[in-house]
Amino acid sequence: MNDTIAAIATAKGQGGVGIIRVSGPLAFKVGQKICDLMVDNIEPRMAMRCDFYDTLDFSIIDNGLVIFFKAPHSFTGEDVVELHGHGGIVVQDLILQSVLNLDVRLARAGEFSERAFINNKLDLAQAEAIASLISASSKESARASVRSLTGEFSKKINALVEDVINLRLYVEAAIDFPEEEIDFLQDEIIYSSLHKLIENLEIILANSTQGALLAEGADIVIVGAPNVGKSTLLNLFAQDDVAIVSEHEGTTRDMIKQKINLQGLVLNIIDTAGIRVTDNQVEQIGIARAKQAMQHADVILLMVDKNTLAIINDLSVDLNAPNVLLVVNKIDKFDAGNDDELEKFLQAEHIKISAKYNLGIEALIQAIHEAVGFNKIDSNVFIARRRHIDALGRALAAINLGFEHLQKTRAGELLAEELLVAQNSLNEITGEFSADDLLGKIFSQFCIGK
Amino acid sequence: MHYPLEYEVIVVGGGHAGVEAALASARVGAKTLLLTQSIDTIGQMSCNPAIGGIGKGHLVKEIDALGGAMAQAADKACIQFRTLNSSKGPAVQASRAQADRILYKEAIRSLIYNAKNLDIFQQSVEDIYIQNGNIIGLKTQAEIEFKAKTIVFTVGTFLRGKIHIGNQQSSGGRAGCSASNALGEKLLQLPFRIGRLKTGTPPRIAAASVDFSVLEQQAGDSNIKGFSFMYQTQDTPRQISCYIAHTNTTTHQIIAKNIASSAMYSGNISGIGPRYCPSIEDKIMRFKDKDAHQIFIEPEGLNSSELYPNGVSTSLPFTVQLDFIRSMQGFEQAHITRPGYAIEYDYFDPRDLEPTMQSKIIPNLFLAGQINGTTGYEEAGAQGLIAGLNAAKLAQGQKTWFPKRHEAYIGVLIDDLITKGTQEPYRMFTSRAEYRLTLREDNADQRLTAIGYDLGLVDEERWQKFKIKMQNIEDSYSFFAKTFIHPNSFDALAIEKEFGEKIEREYSVLDLLKRPQISLSKMLAINNLQFINKFPQEVMLQVEINIKYAGYIKRQELEIAKLSKNENTLIAPNFDYSEVKGLSCELFEKLSELRPATIGIASRIPGMTPAAISLLLIYLKKHSQN
Repeated sequence: MNDTIAAIATAKGQGGVGIIRVSGPLAFKVGQKICDLMVDNIEPRMAMRCDFYDTLDFSIIDNGLVIFFKAPHSFTGEDVVELHGHGGIVVQDLILQSVLNLDVRLARAGEFSERAFINNKLDLAQAEAIASLISASSKESARASVRSLTGEFSKKINALVEDVINLRLYVEAAIDFPEEEIDFLQDEIIYSSLHKLIENLEIILANSTQGALLAEGADIVIVGAPNVGKSTLLNLFAQDDVAIVSEHEGTTRDMIKQKINLQGLVLNIIDTAGIRVTDNQVEQIGIARAKQAMQHADVILLMVDKNTLAIINDLSVDLNAPNVLLVVNKIDKFDAGNDDELEKFLQAEHIKISAKYNLGIEALIQAIHEAVGFNKIDSNVFIARRRHIDALGRALAAINLGFEHLQKTRAGELLAEELLVAQNSLNEITGEFSADDLLGKIFSQFCIGK
Repeated sequence: MHYPLEYEVIVVGGGHAGVEAALASARVGAKTLLLTQSIDTIGQMSCNPAIGGIGKGHLVKEIDALGGAMAQAADKACIQFRTLNSSKGPAVQASRAQADRILYKEAIRSLIYNAKNLDIFQQSVEDIYIQNGNIIGLKTQAEIEFKAKTIVFTVGTFLRGKIHIGNQQSSGGRAGCSASNALGEKLLQLPFRIGRLKTGTPPRIAAASVDFSVLEQQAGDSNIKGFSFMYQTQDTPRQISCYIAHTNTTTHQIIAKNIASSAMYSGNISGIGPRYCPSIEDKIMRFKDKDAHQIFIEPEGLNSSELYPNGVSTSLPFTVQLDFIRSMQGFEQAHITRPGYAIEYDYFDPRDLEPTMQSKIIPNLFLAGQINGTTGYEEAGAQGLIAGLNAAKLAQGQKTWFPKRHEAYIGVLIDDLITKGTQEPYRMFTSRAEYRLTLREDNADQRLTAIGYDLGLVDEERWQKFKIKMQNIEDSYSFFAKTFIHPNSFDALAIEKEFGEKIEREYSVLDLLKRPQISLSKMLAINNLQFINKFPQEVMLQVEINIKYAGYIKRQELEIAKLSKNENTLIAPNFDYSEVKGLSCELFEKLSELRPATIGIASRIPGMTPAAISLLLIYLKKHSQN
């Protein structure tokens, strides 16, 4: 017996048509719900034009074609529904979100093909191809996950996970150690923590549901030595004199934030003070802020020129991190003879530009798009975020239910059960937290033991 | 000399694991020998005089459902019975009994002596014979050689056991018993992965030297339910109370001042102790802001003059033990009868075991109990039963069996051990079981009796009694479904008054029980409603629990069904993981080392990814098509 899975089946981007594929025992029900169809109206393998409805507020999201495939006559060998809507990431995401509200899980990379193979719909020769697809895309999506988890989003989620663990700590300790005089289930603290947790979850969900990345934009921090050309680049991106550009070191004392649209991608660019040790107090504060900004950025542009290559070693920035781009500016000032030396120094992957003469800027924009996951063929970052939001939604539902049980019947074991479900959902984002990890926390917090 | 008789199964060790192993093997018809250092200590409770507790009570009921001995002996020795968590839901309620050590040992010995197919022999094992990678026999101290098709080791803390009291160290498997050093050294030469663990026990105190009048009395439940499905009220001996004492700041000062002389803090002990059963030294050093710890004062038996102070396990020197005990209120004149001590011992990495408790290194050798890194009588007994059963099945050329995580706490225990190993003595908790609402004490019989009967573990008497109970549950279900409460009737008014729930139309009793606020036991207490009191309490309770947990049980069943394909997909022991393309190096190494028996077990190896499991499944499927 399998669960029902769904995913956007077409490449991400602004194409004309986007397809959401749903496979599994609930697929037909999902199709019916989304398209508001009666059972009698369903005819397999027949394209039908209809409106797609939001499953929560019943508003119309899109208009397109729906096709039902009855098992075993489908790609996966299970019941399958395909929703052909308009292209465009926001619309497709809304449809996908509606589908996921119906007890459907987001498919893992390669999972449709995997089911097809297990159900004898693909031949042996194709098995190898699927295997390599799964292993390649699992690496890719792991990278994407890391990328999408930098910044504020991850900070909030980690705080939430901490809160859930702390609650479980009390609830599980009360269950497993009833003789230790720590029956927290009777404690009002549990109620107030639950209230707060539910409130926080609701806020995060509301903020991230509308495709956080596209609506809010990605945070990009430009870091480098003084006078390396950060402000020039920012001005070039923004087509506007937002930052002060001068030949004196340390001109940009504070951070300058600018929201720009870089070829379709919304970016919040943060230009920092040059990182330099100085006695000037103001500058010090700027540096501290720059370092702080780096911690929460989606992408870091580390900018150097031939005079400031050494900063790569001085800063504690991991050049191999997928969200760090090394940018070498002022290539117009390199002479051909010295270039070899430069290459030798720059072991890591890097992008050469001249902000002043507008050289290499296209390649840089491309690299930024890739680092954020805004790429026509790479939708992994976006999917990773969708996965997180999906997990948060399930966690919230579980915690609400658990709270209800506690209020109605003071049934601590049912609250514990729902908190476990919530934890498992959140584990999909933050990695495993096992029963033994929990016990470890209990023993370190409470003095337990007869 | 060669012993003239060849056995099918030999069990080495007569502790809680050894007893269950020997009895289970004999029950399924294998000619079995129980080989022990001392017949007099068979069934000895080496540490606290209690059976059960949260998670552990569940194990005892499961052992019982498979025909084991522990529950029956605990009932005969029970001098105080309590249902823990009685204010919480049935899934997390658990039984705990204070046991009279002598009565317990007698009950166990009577079961051993009366078992068919079971011989006992007293000698310590000194050597083992290995041929073609299998163990074929044993040699005892007096050079008597025994042969068997399969062998079960349940040697507890006896392998190179070392006892610490302050700075004094001595070899021993338990106070007063010698360690199995010759056997320990022998096993060291085999390619087992061996580690070192530590556990401890408190000093025992003479009851006559304690002033009980200043201690808080803790009586047991008046409603004694017993552990065994076969429990009869007349099994239970006289009930007595426990007491609660407290440490104080003086106690803490004494311990803190002498901490350097504790074996654990002086660096003499390298083994890791259990986090949930810390020594009094640990409690005081780690939780400095607490100025009192509660200590449970447990009687050792009806006729014993000794007390077990639960909560002050220690490896401090004897004089310090005496000082801190006497600093507690009521213990000013206390006399210590036996000093507390810490014990270090060898354990074998349980990841080298199959879920049948069979060694991956020597296929006809089975290991059970503390040798696998666990602690507790219940954990030991559970493993012993599975090891003894499978040793017998293997010897007889029959199919082996082990419970899965969704079937029993025993399954959780075994699966945790073989997939994750353990870094400290492993103890069961309900939070370890992901199917906690399904794995309850109250349905252990329903989960396992039929399986036990098929395996030959359960006798006819129990089987018939079980069938009657099941029939009763079914009848009671349909009775509740067909019995209606009419609006505005006296019955309805009584219910409305008791629960504050409106009965606006006709409802069956079954439907009423679906409401979370309405409880059956409270309904049965209403005079008007005596006509629904038609079945035994425990039978009607089953109906109620099933109704109240229905949504959750269904959800867990779906979850289990989803995973069942993985649990039932076998991986050959010699499977070549290098053939599976796309596995990361780390997972390749883990899988090659652990050699999981099924995809399900593989999926629970720490660090395993869904993608890697997909790759394995695809490879296996492809292979089977070839």
